[in-house]
Amino acid sequence: MVHPLREKAAVSGIGETAYTRGTHKSALALQLEASLAAIADAGLSPRDIDGVVPYFPGGGIAEDFIANLGLPDLKLSLFVPMGGATCVAAIQSAAMAVASGVCNHVLIAVGRTGYSGARVSTRLQQFPQFALAAEFEAPIGIFAPAQLYAPGARRHMELYGTTERHFAEIAVVTRQHAILNGNVVMNKPLTVEEHHASRMISDPFRLFDCSLESDGGAAIIVSRSDQARDLKKPLITIMGVAEGHPESPASIAQRPDLLEFGLAKSAPRAYEMAGVGPKDIDVAEIYDCFTFTVINQLELLGFCKKGEGGPFIMDGRIALGGELPINTHGGLLSQGHVVGLNHVIELTRQLRREAGKAQVKDAEVGLVTGYGDMGDGSIAILRRAA
Amino acid sequence: MSTATTPLAPERPLPTPTRESQPHWDGMREGRFLLQHCSACGKVRHYPRPVCPHCFSMESEFKEAPTGGAIHTWTVCHHPFNFFFKATAPYIVALVDMDAGVRVNAPLRGVTEADIKIGQRVKLGFEPVNKEVTLPFFVAE
Repeated sequence: MVHPLREKAAVSGIGETAYTRGTHKSALALQLEASLAAIADAGLSPRDIDGVVPYFPGGGIAEDFIANLGLPDLKLSLFVPMGGATCVAAIQSAAMAVASGVCNHVLIAVGRTGYSGARVSTRLQQFPQFALAAEFEAPIGIFAPAQLYAPGARRHMELYGTTERHFAEIAVVTRQHAILNGNVVMNKPLTVEEHHASRMISDPFRLFDCSLESDGGAAIIVSRSDQARDLKKPLITIMGVAEGHPESPASIAQRPDLLEFGLAKSAPRAYEMAGVGPKDIDVAEIYDCFTFTVINQLELLGFCKKGEGGPFIMDGRIALGGELPINTHGGLLSQGHVVGLNHVIELTRQLRREAGKAQVKDAEVGLVTGYGDMGDGSIAILRRAA
Repeated sequence: MSTATTPLAPERPLPTPTRESQPHWDGMREGRFLLQHCSACGKVRHYPRPVCPHCFSMESEFKEAPTGGAIHTWTVCHHPFNFFFKATAPYIVALVDMDAGVRVNAPLRGVTEADIKIGQRVKLGFEPVNKEVTLPFFVAE
């Protein structure tokens, strides 16, 4: 039986601000600027938006959207508190809302002053999901995601022989892709040697294994497919979408297998809903808070076996022109950090064939992941239906 | 007394015990490694929480547990992310599979980075940081 949500909703609008290091704008202003761009891209009026999922914590809440956009009748206000998995998981919530008829057009928006405002180790203290980390990890010197995720990367290296050369490949290829995109923070080439020479942050993560702290906003609109069909842009449907939560969700330390997290549960569900598998994917935008995180997710997504992610990504396979181009916009490592909503925007552009110099030829089906909150994992599989 | 130009020493982040975790921290202060066990099914759980996820009992007791374990994985923190740890970086933090059946994350002392291996035996020590709080660390067993 076909899943009742398959292709019932579509990504109808996308919008983003400039990605910078330094801004005078507030996170709310960036979030609203991107929202207006996404609404215009869809050919809608702000008055058409009847559901909002603002990224939380940070940026605005539903009340801000009503007050700024003059929303006449907001029918749904949601937070999806899943850290880096939030934006893609929010697509599932939005798809359910429009498919069920509760809403017509749901806005998902992020605004962030990660460079000019509070930095990551401070921001995390706002998250209720980090209470255990604050009690048991911060006192012994573990504060930031780099420190929380590094032990998993180290274990992968020890068990499977993954090396920093593999990590460098992710950083270098992602940078090559970023250079093709006009709106990025990092626009100079990066070599393997420069990666290896960058300072150690939390072993095995070096500076160029870590995503950027940047300022910017991003937004998308999720609409019911029959309504999106009549809008301005090619119809990009949501074939499959899912969120997954790992064992020991608020403590990586207590998780039985550090390398098995939410995506291990959500990926099979999303493939089943979509009716496709890894072999059908033309382009993938993989949440890249760290280089290693991409390798780990490619394994959980079934592109290769567990432990084989390092060799899998070598020899041009993940670069444009390769078998599985990934992070064709430059990702969180080189474009900017808007909690992965830029990955959803890039996938939509690829399927619309609007990706410019980074266009994957004839891209029909692609996937995007979110990863965060110490191991939540979300995935959406989109298709060009126009 | 000191003048206004004396810089403030950065404060060490300390745990804020909850009603569930208080007995664990009380034990640490006494130099005892106390873990929460379900009173109904007997299974151990860490970090402390109100309900046993195996049998859903809300009755539990804290029992002293063995302090030995084997290294599961580790990281070496170079960038401190916090002013207090600026003075101690780089420092090794080991994630250890305790013989008691839970994991503990704590600084590893007296071992050089190049010598660390998965499965290496360590034991937990107790380091008082003030009158109320004692934190764990590891040394080679």
